Amino acid sequence: MNIELSEEAAEYGRQALQAFEHAGGDELVVLAEAEPDRRENLVAPVLSELGAWQLNPRGDSAELEAAAALCRSAGYWAVPYPVAERLARPADLAVDGLLVVAGPRPAASLAGLSLRWAAVTLDGRRSLATARPSGVSARLSALVTELDLDPADEDGAKDVAVGLVLPCWTLLGMLDRAISLAREHVLVREQFGHPLSVFQSVQFQLTDAEVERSGVEALAKYALWSVQDDSPDAVEDALALRLAAVEAAATVFAVAHQLFGALGFCDEAQLSWLSRYSEPLRRLPLGAIATLEELTSRAGRRGLTGLYSEPSGSSLGVAS
Amino acid sequence: MGDAATALRGELRQLVADHLPPDFLGAFTDDPADLAATQNFCQLLAKRGLLCLAWPPEYGGGGASLWEQTVVREEMWAHHEPRGAQYMGVNWVGPTIMRHGTPEQKSQHLPPIARGEVIWCQGFSEPNAGSDLAALRTAARRDGDIWRISGQKIWTSYATMAQWCFLLARTSRGEKKQHGITVFLVPMSSPGIEVRPIRSIIGPHHLNEVFFDDLQVTDADVLGRVDEGWQVAQEVLAFERVGIARYARCERLLHAAPAALGAEWDALPAELRTRWARMLVHCRRARLLAYRVIARQGEGRVRPGEAAPYRIAVTRLDQDSAEVLMEIAGHMSARGEAAQRFRQEVEDHWRYSRASTVASGSIEMQRILLARSMLSGGSTPPDGSKRLAVA
Repeated sequence: MNIELSEEAAEYGRQALQAFEHAGGDELVVLAEAEPDRRENLVAPVLSELGAWQLNPRGDSAELEAAAALCRSAGYWAVPYPVAERLARPADLAVDGLLVVAGPRPAASLAGLSLRWAAVTLDGRRSLATARPSGVSARLSALVTELDLDPADEDGAKDVAVGLVLPCWTLLGMLDRAISLAREHVLVREQFGHPLSVFQSVQFQLTDAEVERSGVEALAKYALWSVQDDSPDAVEDALALRLAAVEAAATVFAVAHQLFGALGFCDEAQLSWLSRYSEPLRRLPLGAIATLEELTSRAGRRGLTGLYSEPSGSSLGVAS
Repeated sequence: MGDAATALRGELRQLVADHLPPDFLGAFTDDPADLAATQNFCQLLAKRGLLCLAWPPEYGGGGASLWEQTVVREEMWAHHEPRGAQYMGVNWVGPTIMRHGTPEQKSQHLPPIARGEVIWCQGFSEPNAGSDLAALRTAARRDGDIWRISGQKIWTSYATMAQWCFLLARTSRGEKKQHGITVFLVPMSSPGIEVRPIRSIIGPHHLNEVFFDDLQVTDADVLGRVDEGWQVAQEVLAFERVGIARYARCERLLHAAPAALGAEWDALPAELRTRWARMLVHCRRARLLAYRVIARQGEGRVRPGEAAPYRIAVTRLDQDSAEVLMEIAGHMSARGEAAQRFRQEVEDHWRYSRASTVASGSIEMQRILLARSMLSGGSTPPDGSKRLAVA
């Protein structure tokens, strides 16, 4: 595997970052929340311009990396559109995107969109999914709606990993931005006659957040490689990434809010939007505890594949 | 990492299995046989060309890739560092002498290190110069053709068993405290050196105080230029930038736990098993962060702040995994040799982990380096760095 994305994918991500900025940047999510029905028109043309729908993440490793970079850039701007979910679409179903679902009330950020969706459970059961009309305002739902599922087949084993990994790249982009916003804030905001950034208590909070973000970045690339490699561990690797991403998000957003103080709650601060729109990604399809339980269950006694995983315990020669 | 690295890993594991006692927990126990085991193991590695694998061929090394070096670092730490104290001579004393030493110093010091025959200690920290290393006060005063050194070092690992000391001393006072420091290569058998062991949580023969009372050395013992030792020390710290592969021991013990507990594993509290799984994720995270630093090191573009996230993550992993493992070991009822060995390994890991956020640059220093890096650069867009081949 490679530790970092290819230069081509990284460059594509940078182009996407600029394209989203030119299309409205931080305003996109504000406009989408005011009128959820507009978000297709707000975002889809940008994605078309970027050639997103020509990407074949399932069939080409380089294009999977490009898709990941695109998701990350979308997360950076909190782009109000299921970019990762659309890029994860399965080729063998006549749908526009793929959602990984779990729990008794499957849901996704689909309010205001009229696309065709497939859903897959963690054990590979696929359905055709229809978004119910949301009875909750976008301001409180963060554009999440419940889904009606119509069972299709049980052929989704290959869909689960990619369906879990790409949204984590979106969340990673959100963590990039949250730390960037917090950093810029502490450099300019003065208290007691000094920028906040000179106080070590502030610096250390920022570094704790960055350590978490860096870890997600490393695991995101690993999980992507696992998908590219069609590894039998791809779902476990995706769950490991998801656990780290969701737990990191809790730390990063808590730190960012703390450093912003009251301003961070205000809608004039982008952090307020980023924070609330990160929440569906953190909760769906599984929150932190449920992700950890699923990972633990799958890990069994063998654990994650690593330096000492094959066979378990052999290097110690221990036995019961 | 490639076939060569995989083969090397297998070879090292076989050597560990064949040549170390099954209950080996490092060189610094009360049992002299453990120190002897590490000395023998070093010489075995040397004979097979594995001790100084990373050294350039002109100094008897194998010119190994960064990834092969990584494998050595991982396997040695995972198995309680069977090179004992000698890893320091191999990892950074030798390479620093290669870069700054005179021809005489190179011919005197490099061959014994390469043969696995010599132990070095590091005379850096002082009672009032720990994280603030440049505040060191041990003084070297010129007296005709000799230098007279007096002062005190503390937390000096391996000083009781070392033959040589890589010593930092103040030779003048400049505008900045980093100026006027010189490196001396000092034989520990010299008159004027007294070592007092400090019994500690990490073993009875690890930490020491070292007192220098009018120790006399000459210009031939100076490494590099007089007063410019701080730059040399910075290079030493750069060799240590990736540091110990702590994640490897964590991962090995975590993976060994289910087999060690046998049927009792399934009776563990569910939350404890989830904490175990989380630690495995953190092991992978730390390992990947290490690999990223190593890859950037290979391109010559790693800066101190870039290594800091790894250093912070791995030291926290060390302590967090030790807590989880101690709790898991507490649920073992087996009394056999294998069970006892697992308990001892876990206990040893827990004790060593107490120091992991302090040793080789405290976690606070790593956070300061990282904060400096974060706050001085540009904004933080999604990463766009170059492709770095691991395999």
